[in-house]
This record gives sequence, C-alpha cells and structure tokens, in this order.
Amino acid sequence: MKRSPATLALRWSGRVLVAVILLFVLLPGVVVAISAFNDRAILQFPPQSWSLRWFWRAFSYADFAKGFWNGLTVTVWASSIAVVVGSAFAFAIHRYKFALRDFLEGILLSPLIIPHYTVGLGILILASQTGIGRGFPLVIFAHVVMVLPFVMRSTYISLENLDTRLELAASSLGATPLRILFTVTIPLLIPGLLSGWLFAAILSFNEFTATLFVSSQATQTLPVAMYNYVREFADPTLAALSVIYIVVTATLLTIANSFLGLGKILNVDAH
Amino acid sequence: MLMRTDPMTADMPSVASDKIRPAVQLDGVTKRFGDSVALHEAWLKIRPSEFMTLLGPSGCGKTTLLNLIAGFLEADNGEIFIEGALVTETPAHMREIGIVFQNYALFPHMSVAKNVAYGLTTRGVEKKEIARRVEEALALVKLSGFADRKPRQLSGGQQQRVALARALVIKPKVLLLDEPFSALDKNLRGSMQVELKQIQRELGVTTIFVTHDQGEALSMSDRIAVMSAGRIRQIAAPDDIYRRPADRFVASFVGDASVLNGRLVARRGDVAVVSIGDMSVNVPATPTAGVAIGDAVDVFVRPEHLAVTPRGASGSLPGTVTAQVFQGGHVDLYIDAPGSARERILLRSPGIAALSSCPVGAEIGLTIGSDDIVAFPPGEAP
Amino acid sequence: MNTRPFLGWFVSPAGLVAVGLIAAMLAVFQYSVRAYIPGTLEVGGFTWANFEAMLRPLYALAFWNTVLLCFETALFTLLLAYPLAYALTRTNSSALRSFILIVSVTPLFLGEVVRTYSWMIVLGNNGFLNSLLLKLGLLDRPLQMMFTAGGVVAALVHVTMPIMVIMLAAALSHIDRNYEKAAESLGAGPIRIFLTITLPLSMPGIVAGFSTAFAWTFSAFATPQLIGGGRVATVSTLIYQLGFSSFNFPFAASLSIIGLALSLAVIALLKKAASPLERMAGTT
Repeated sequence: MKRSPATLALRWSGRVLVAVILLFVLLPGVVVAISAFNDRAILQFPPQSWSLRWFWRAFSYADFAKGFWNGLTVTVWASSIAVVVGSAFAFAIHRYKFALRDFLEGILLSPLIIPHYTVGLGILILASQTGIGRGFPLVIFAHVVMVLPFVMRSTYISLENLDTRLELAASSLGATPLRILFTVTIPLLIPGLLSGWLFAAILSFNEFTATLFVSSQATQTLPVAMYNYVREFADPTLAALSVIYIVVTATLLTIANSFLGLGKILNVDAH
Repeated sequence: MLMRTDPMTADMPSVASDKIRPAVQLDGVTKRFGDSVALHEAWLKIRPSEFMTLLGPSGCGKTTLLNLIAGFLEADNGEIFIEGALVTETPAHMREIGIVFQNYALFPHMSVAKNVAYGLTTRGVEKKEIARRVEEALALVKLSGFADRKPRQLSGGQQQRVALARALVIKPKVLLLDEPFSALDKNLRGSMQVELKQIQRELGVTTIFVTHDQGEALSMSDRIAVMSAGRIRQIAAPDDIYRRPADRFVASFVGDASVLNGRLVARRGDVAVVSIGDMSVNVPATPTAGVAIGDAVDVFVRPEHLAVTPRGASGSLPGTVTAQVFQGGHVDLYIDAPGSARERILLRSPGIAALSSCPVGAEIGLTIGSDDIVAFPPGEAP
Repeated sequence: MNTRPFLGWFVSPAGLVAVGLIAAMLAVFQYSVRAYIPGTLEVGGFTWANFEAMLRPLYALAFWNTVLLCFETALFTLLLAYPLAYALTRTNSSALRSFILIVSVTPLFLGEVVRTYSWMIVLGNNGFLNSLLLKLGLLDRPLQMMFTAGGVVAALVHVTMPIMVIMLAAALSHIDRNYEKAAESLGAGPIRIFLTITLPLSMPGIVAGFSTAFAWTFSAFATPQLIGGGRVATVSTLIYQLGFSSFNFPFAASLSIIGLALSLAVIALLKKAASPLERMAGTT
C-alpha cells in the first residue's frame, strides 16, 4: 500500500516521539548506573575513575542487610496473606451477592486512593492507642492492606476469564462444590494467583510511605533504610544499590513476562 | 396443579406414554429472572431412550430448561422428575446427568484420560475399573490413543468426542447436549451428527438436545419440542412438526413457509375446507376452531409444495417472478401475487429447469400440490 | 440447596482486614479532633483547633501547592504516557512490544526511594543534566533544578508514568480496530481518525489514568521530601514533619483528613467533568 508523504512524516515523528519518551523513562536508570561505578565519593559526570567499591559497601552496610531481611520477612508474609485473603474475597464478590458486599469491596479497594501516609498514620495511631506496639505484625498488616487491592484485581480478572461451564461440567459429573473448588477452580486460577502474589510481593518490598510511619528501628525495611541513608550520606552507595534493584526487578519482570505474559496480567493485551 | 392435563401431549398419538415411566418429567416448571419469565409452566414427558430436541430461537428458554434439568438453576415453581424420582431440589452433582456444552468445557489442565475419568473419580470407582471404562469410552468415540493429549492439542471435532465420552462414561440417566455442533464447521457437523445419533441409539441413552438449527432438529430427533418466548409451543415427531405445525410460530420457524390469503369455506369433522382464489384445499380443523365460516384465514404453504403452471390454468393463482436464486439442487423463485398473498411467495422448484423457464418478470400461475397445508386465524406476528 | 457454599470462609478474613482498616481510619478521625499536648504522645480533649489552624496561610498554601503539583504531574504524565501506550498496543513487533512494556512498567516496581534518588543524581548541581549542559556550553553555571517545584514534577511524572501507561494501554487495547478501519475507509486521515475515533474511545482510560496519577502524586512523600528538600511544602511532607519532628499527631491527623477529603473531591470532580465526554463517546 502506498502511503502519502504526510502519513510517512507523521509515522516517523511518532516514532521519534516514542523514542524520546522512552529515553526520559530510561534516563534516571542509566545515570544511576554510571554514577554507581564512580570511584569518587562525590557526584561527577563523566566519572574520572571507576570502581566497584560502592557495591561492596552496599552489601556490607549493616542497615541495608537488616532492611533487606526485614523487608523480605514482611513481603513474604504480607503477600501470602494478601493472596489468600484477597483471592477468597474476590471469589466471593465475583460469584455471590451478600450483605455488605459492595461496602466491603469499597473499603478494601480504598487504599488505592487513600494517601499512604493517611493509612500509615492511622495504623500507627491505632497501634499506640491499643498498645499493640510497632512490631512486625503491625508492618505486615499495613502491607496486607496496601497490596490487597492488586491481589483482588488480579484474581477477579482470572475469574472473569474462567469459563463457569467447566465448573458446571464438573458438577454434572458428580463433583461436590468443595471438590470442584480444589480440582477445577483453584488449579485454573493458579497462574492468576501466582501473578497476584508476585505483584503483591514486589509492591510490598518497595512500599515506603506507610512503612515509614509504622516501622521502628527494629523493623525498618530496605526502602526505609535507603531513605535514611540518603538523608545522611551523599556517596554513590545508594546508586550501587539502585543498580542491583533495577537489574533484579527487570530480570524478574522479564521472566514474569515470558512465563505468564505481563500484558495479560496487566490487562493491556488486544482482544 | 397436578390435576391439569398437558395440552401438548393430551392429543398426541401416544405410545402408551402413561404406562412407561418417563425418563424425565417436568410438571409446570417456571423460572423467572427478575421480572422476566424465562420459562413459563413447562410440561414435558421424555420417554426412556428417546432423543428429544428443544428447538427455538435464542432467548426462547430452551437453555434455561436444560439448566433446570441439569440442576444448574433452581425452578421457581413446578417439579422435575428423573426416572420417577423427584429431583427439583437435588443439587447438580447428585443428579447423575451427562452434559456436553457448546464449547465442550473440557478441563484444560487435565489430559483427555483425566477428563474422561473425572466423573468416575468423583464416584470413587476403583482405579483399574476407571482405566478400563475410560478406554472403553474413548474407543466408543474413536479416540483410542489420544488418552495422554491435552484438550488444546485436539481439533474441535475431537474435543467434542472427548466431551461426549466424559459425559457418557458415568452411564448418565440423561444426556444433555447444549448446541454441541454450533462450533464445528459445516462438513464436520454433518458427520458428527450421524455419529452422535448412532452412539445414542446404540447405548439407548435418553437424550435432550438443545438447538436453534431446525435442520439439526428435524434430522436427529425422535420428538421435537418447539419453544418460543419461554413457552413450549408444540411437542411432536419431526415430520408432524413440519407437516402439521400447531401454530403460526411453529409453521414459520420450522422450515420455510409462504402465507396465502384464504377463506374458511366449510368444516367436515377433523378437516376444514379453505378457498384460495379459485383453488380450494383441505386443512386440519383444530387450528382454525375459532374462525367463523366465510371469514379470512392465513394459509401456510411449504415452498416445495407450490408448483408453476401456465398463467390462467384452471385453479391456479396469478403471480409474477421477482427474483430467482440458484441453490444447486433446486431453484428458489420469489413471486409477487398481490391478489393472494401480502408478502412475497417462495416457491422451490426442483432441478434447474426453472432457471430458464421462469425468468424474472415472467407471468406465471401457481398451484398447490400437497395436502400438508395448514391454516391459522389471521394475524401479523407469528 | 445452598447456592453459596463456603461464603463465610471466603469473606470473613477480608472482613477482618476491613475492620482493621476502618479502625485505623477512625483513629485518624478521632485524633484530628483532639488537643495536642506538646512534648508527649498523649492527646487532650476534643477540639476543633486543628482544623482552625489549617486556615493559616502556611497550610492553605501547602494545600494549594499540592493540588497544583498533582494537576501538573497528572497532565504531563498523560501527555507522555499516551504515545507510549499507543505504541505499545499498536506495534506489530512483539519484541518492541515487550521492550516498551518492560521499560515502562519496571519503574513501577522500583519504589519511590530508588526512583527519587535517581532523579537527585540527574537534577543535582553536579548532576548529569547540569554536567551535560555545561559541557555542551549551553550553560555557564549550573541551573538550580533540585529543591524546585519543576524538579519535583519531573520526578513525579516519572513515578506515575507506569500506572498511566498501563491504564491507557488497557483502554486502547480494548478498542475494536475495525472502528479505525471503518473511519479510514470513509476517507479519514490518520490525525482525524485519532481525534474522532481513538481518542474519544480511550476516554475512560484517560480519566482513570489521570485520577490515579493525581491520587498517587497526592500520596507521594519521598519525592517532594527529598527533591523538594523542604522548600516545596506539600501535605505529605507537612504531615511527616508534624508527626515525627514535633510529635503533633492530632494536627497531622487533621491534615491527612483534609488531604484525603481534598483528593477524593478532586477525583470525584474529574470523573464528573469527564462523564459528558465519555457519554459523547458512547463508552458509558
């Protein structure tokens, strides 16, 4: 098909525009990567000498190691609890009508629009009033609240895509509701549950604002430790840590994309 | 409520339907969704080993009826019996019913063998026995050797066979088929229909088949229940449905029909005499019971029952050919006959002679060459 | 026949979480009307003083600044994310698709701190942009980008880009391409097709993306705190300072109530303003 010069020009300016925007998205990552290998402790472009020492410091800095393990603990607990609680609830709202259904759904989705500091502050005040204390359970609860909407959404989409006739077929073949749940529904939801868990885990591991409010010195997660570091030091340790962060996250996402289809999880695939 | 007789079956030349216990029986079953009535007081008795088809346009309530029998829906009123046992309140998983869905609904995460075995596993059948019966069922549908495949590795026709094997392996009391052929391409559809019918006859399993395709219904069924707007309009054998439709809807939904303007001339017992122009024909008396002698009636004629004669032949109706459509084995002529019909008349002429003998614009005469004609009180919508 | 098996099992855990969340929100409400006792974490009796204090110019200005900041951020994010989402859903190359998807989505999973830190390096006086512009001779002394509202917006746009791309792409991918083909067959050029077909039909995604970007920016804390460096006061930075520097939790609570109310009001307003547009596009 022959295209007019105007259409071609439009096409190419569109491509250039997309390239420029992608550059804007990539820029900070690239800049951080460059500065992470800078030998000097102060910011400099281009760096005059190169070194890996900030990576070693990032690994050996005690607060980061502790933050990492704290974060991992919180993440694993929070995302696992969220997947169980959120998927069960998504199943209930997808299939049944019951009292307070819309109210509960609204409440549990509200962390999507309630500022995180409000949630963080609320849980902090609640903890101090009830004397619960700022231990891990509090942080985990805050994280469950934060990631629950995403898990609910991911399970709900999987349920929408699940053909209910499969369950009817199982029922006609003599399977009890419980058996259908475990032999048909849950096995078919597993990709959705897994992606929901992964989504929740990544969000939880990176949650910062609410965690800043509810965590203590003993329970601070990696993002909180990083925030405290950047307020005290200006050296490229954090750049090195950011590089590790970016590489690990991009790798996980690439894996998730090839195994589960990120487009499908995020619901952006053409229909 | 149970005292009421079923208007559809009461006048049926029944093969002792009251002596044999019906395989499935519906007594005044009604289902509402909100304000709309999806199924209105359905009365139905299906004999053992019968192939019963529920035929109707989409939204007529046939799938609702199927879902009620399967136990996927709960009836608002009425009772459902399977092999004489009341099952109205029995959950689906205890009804012992086999079902094949339009999209087959094979479990995508299980192999063919696991799919077929599913219903046996739920019944706690012993492992060896399961293996034997799965093999037997797969052989029945000619899929031996496909046991370890996953559903997505099979063609549409093969998936359907698996679905059939899965439904039959549990030796169901009733087999339900929900538009099972509509996802298949035309060629495959024909051969699957023949095969399914063969298997059904061989096993003697009572079968309820839902379809909107009148061709499928006419070719496969022992009896057909024609449905529209949540009501069963007529229950009869395929040829009866075609030759003696009970009302305007059935007459126009099953097969093609042209409507001619007639006048009721006389009644003689079961037969009524109707005049159309210079012609007079005999029709069943029952559908026009409320019409007075001398009043207008609508006469429904099948296109193959009409024939072309020279203009002016005695007893013929004058008409003008407005279009001809070559259909391969026959030619469809569309004829304007303002004096004898409000709408265009369809005439089906066998062979290809009409292509040259009846060109568009030709002035012809029409005659009716059959006794399978019905008349109804005049009305607009079917 | 029980048509809702295990309903209790499915709902009660979520119900417990909801109860916790409601209790936390009620705690914020309750604190917002309590008196602040300096030097302690205890609170005094009921009072409207906290809300009255918010009328002071310092706080009123912080609210205004925050709304403005959120609006600018959401607008720029929309302008930058739309071309990406469009390319993402319209490219025929699956490699390019995956590339755009990974690049635009990865930042979502990096967390605010890493992304904000990256921007500090980009925007700083010795940072990447200043070094580059000085080297190129376009500047003779570093441009002040850190601690400015512009710097904060740039970083926040980067933070909200991924979610906007996802929401727009979801909307764009659900538009039947035959509408565009039909418009083309009727003689519409690419720009007309975009303006009369694609853009109106993607309206729900635009509204959803804009509102989410707005809400996220309202919620952002690390970016305005670190890049604004205390010179760009927003609701979130004020709340943190009040809570953790002066332990004035009652006032922090009342600020976050007003912040919540404000962000809900703006989002509701956005939805309302957009609904005629959506109705016009026949998408609601």
